[in-house]
Amino acid sequence: MAGDGAPISEAEALEQLRQTDDQSRQYYAAWWLGRMRSRHPEAVPLLLAALRQRQPRDVGAGVEHNAVARNAARALGKIADGRAVSELLVVLDDADDGLREAAARSLGELRATAAVPLLTRRLASGPEVAGAHRSDSPRLQEPCEAMLEALGTIGVAEAEVLAVIKPFTSHGRPLVRSAACRALLQLTGETAWADELLQLLQHPQLQVRRAALMDLGAVGWRPALVPIQRTLAENSLKLIALRGLVENGNGDEADSDDEAVLMAMDALL
Amino acid sequence: MTAASGDSRLAADRIRAFEQAGSAEELVAATRRLIACDDPLATVPHLVQVLGFNNPGAAVAAVDGLIALGPAAVGPLLANLDAHNYGARAWAVRALAGIGDPRGLDVLEDALATDVGPSVRRAAARGLGALRLEALTEEERRQMRERCLGALESGRGDGEWVVRYAVAVGLEGLALPLPPAHPHSHRAEACLQQLQDPEREDTLVVRLRAGVALKRLNAR
Repeated sequence: MAGDGAPISEAEALEQLRQTDDQSRQYYAAWWLGRMRSRHPEAVPLLLAALRQRQPRDVGAGVEHNAVARNAARALGKIADGRAVSELLVVLDDADDGLREAAARSLGELRATAAVPLLTRRLASGPEVAGAHRSDSPRLQEPCEAMLEALGTIGVAEAEVLAVIKPFTSHGRPLVRSAACRALLQLTGETAWADELLQLLQHPQLQVRRAALMDLGAVGWRPALVPIQRTLAENSLKLIALRGLVENGNGDEADSDDEAVLMAMDALL
Repeated sequence: MTAASGDSRLAADRIRAFEQAGSAEELVAATRRLIACDDPLATVPHLVQVLGFNNPGAAVAAVDGLIALGPAAVGPLLANLDAHNYGARAWAVRALAGIGDPRGLDVLEDALATDVGPSVRRAAARGLGALRLEALTEEERRQMRERCLGALESGRGDGEWVVRYAVAVGLEGLALPLPPAHPHSHRAEACLQQLQDPEREDTLVVRLRAGVALKRLNAR
């Protein structure tokens, strides 16, 4: 396979994750096991051990440990093994916001309904507190995008959840607005949230247009076909978005609506 | 910009304006104007040159222009393929895939098998199913299709879903003009059946595209 980095075998990856002397090897091995969606029986226990390697944020030497833990958290989401849920829930309260972000995304991929009360609690203070800018970095107090997206993917459409998400649709950052609209569209199917995303496809910043493309694809919002075709962005991203339109909410055979999307994809190759 | 960016459609004026373009935006605009001048053939070397400038907006415009010019652009494209400028090569592959001239076969074959960029491999796969073989003899057509099929069959094992998707599109394009009983049509269908099989292909959209291709081939 092209583009997968240094070729190592699954056995080598497991071995490199098991040793703890060289963290850069652990870092790569954790990524590799997630990328390959390893089904080896030792993969999940080793990744959980790597996740527990995390350290309190402010210990100077702890940065590398947490880099390994973050990759382990991401890999556990890709491998999608339910055994990872309880440890990822603990990580959702970690002091390292990068780890909370990785855990939120993975809990979303795992469709972990148990994460909903924790995610809503961390976001409940709204854009002014949870969504406030940090003084020490360009990041926000909470990894809002990842947490909002996770709530949308997990799919618990209760009134309290919607009430927590809605204020983020007027956050100052367009990427946060996009994530909030995506979640609300997934949870409610209401057109108003799709309209917001379609607006963002015309945002002057490429980064925002890309995010809106990915969000419409993740929801599978069919009426977005033509606006996606017209968006000023790379064909590679439009193809991923259109793949989302076809795959999200679909059976095993293409109907005529699907064929229209597939033909649009052909034209972008 | 010079006066040439005004109303004149003369190739010479527009080429001069192109050569004087100072910023990335000016280059994109000047490239677009090259395509719409009175003598587009004169602009081919300049369009080919744009592919090596590391300016994606201008390169997209140049690729569109080269595809519109068709076979006339193939000679200069092949003559200027730069093995050391990855970006330029990638754009040239896209142009050759879009033109569909049989002289591009070597480059497309090589790109699908070895290029590191999925966007280049996907363009090559599409192009391998869209070569215009009408002007060739029966035997030449058979030999070329044989090579295209072999390349696409190998491309079915690509690690990127979007390349396998393009392989399905390429196989459809290759087999659609053939009579159903043709051995090359059988080979294309066999490969598409593997791309449609959930046991062998894990990406739903690839399976769906292969299914559409098979449906169209059955309807011939």
